[in-house]
Amino acid sequence: MENALVKKFKWFWAWQDEAEEAWLGEMSKKGYHLSSVGVAGIYTFFIDEPRDYVYRLDYRMFPKKDKQEYLQLFRDAGWEYIGEMSAWQYFRKHAKQGEANEIFTDAESKIAKYTRILTFLGFFWIVLVAVLVGRISRISVDNPYPWWGVIDGIQLFTFLVFLLFTYIIIRLATRIRQLKRL
Amino acid sequence: MSQDDIKEYLPLTEATYYIMVALSEPLHGYAVMQEVEKISEGTVRVGPGTLYGVFTTLEKEGLIVKVKEEERRKSYTLTPKGRAVLLSQVKRLGIMNRNGLAVSDRLSPERRNVAGGT
Repeated sequence: MENALVKKFKWFWAWQDEAEEAWLGEMSKKGYHLSSVGVAGIYTFFIDEPRDYVYRLDYRMFPKKDKQEYLQLFRDAGWEYIGEMSAWQYFRKHAKQGEANEIFTDAESKIAKYTRILTFLGFFWIVLVAVLVGRISRISVDNPYPWWGVIDGIQLFTFLVFLLFTYIIIRLATRIRQLKRL
Repeated sequence: MSQDDIKEYLPLTEATYYIMVALSEPLHGYAVMQEVEKISEGTVRVGPGTLYGVFTTLEKEGLIVKVKEEERRKSYTLTPKGRAVLLSQVKRLGIMNRNGLAVSDRLSPERRNVAGGT
């Protein structure tokens, strides 16, 4: 019999990846097993008997030929690959006592993972700053209107995205600092 | 290669050290994971995410090189530069170990605190 599939939307922020892993594990304990990942937080689960699975997330972008080698390494180590959602790579394996249930086994490699996310976000952050600075510099000194008069919807939107990115970057940097203290 | 160039890479992390020791002969990824667990007597386990990262970095720095590829499994081994770096680390660890052993009799948990403790 074909197992029933359920779609579920769940958003998570980059610094909450460990909570996301734990949540996926809890879902499996209830009999909801991740079967594929879609775009922007859309998960598909298949319903079956409850199982004790460990889920782990990596963050990587790479060309296809490198990905083959990468996935082979995980398969050899007993990890099942579920899929990719905006560079997040989803893996799982059966939780077993006395067995390695981690894909990252030292602080350095965890820090490297968050640094990869930071580098990606940092690129967009710089673009946003450039856009904002470009807009502000066009405000003429003898503009008869007060400064808020020149703020339009697009500018406000860009500014809010800039604030959001800044916040994410701070959270990730905090996470890295915590890991460095270990 | 000068000693200064080698020093840039030191100290190696525990995982990197064991991975390089394992790669003194050509091995593919999963074999490295098994070898590290074995030779470290179970003290160090390397997960696939960590191993892939170390492989990528070491290859980029020219410390290891791909020697074979079979069914998507790549085998790597140390380059001359990699061997020099590892050898230098081994020497440093030898000094560290001698220093630790020299004071080891002072480190026993039964030993009373010299600085006026209980």
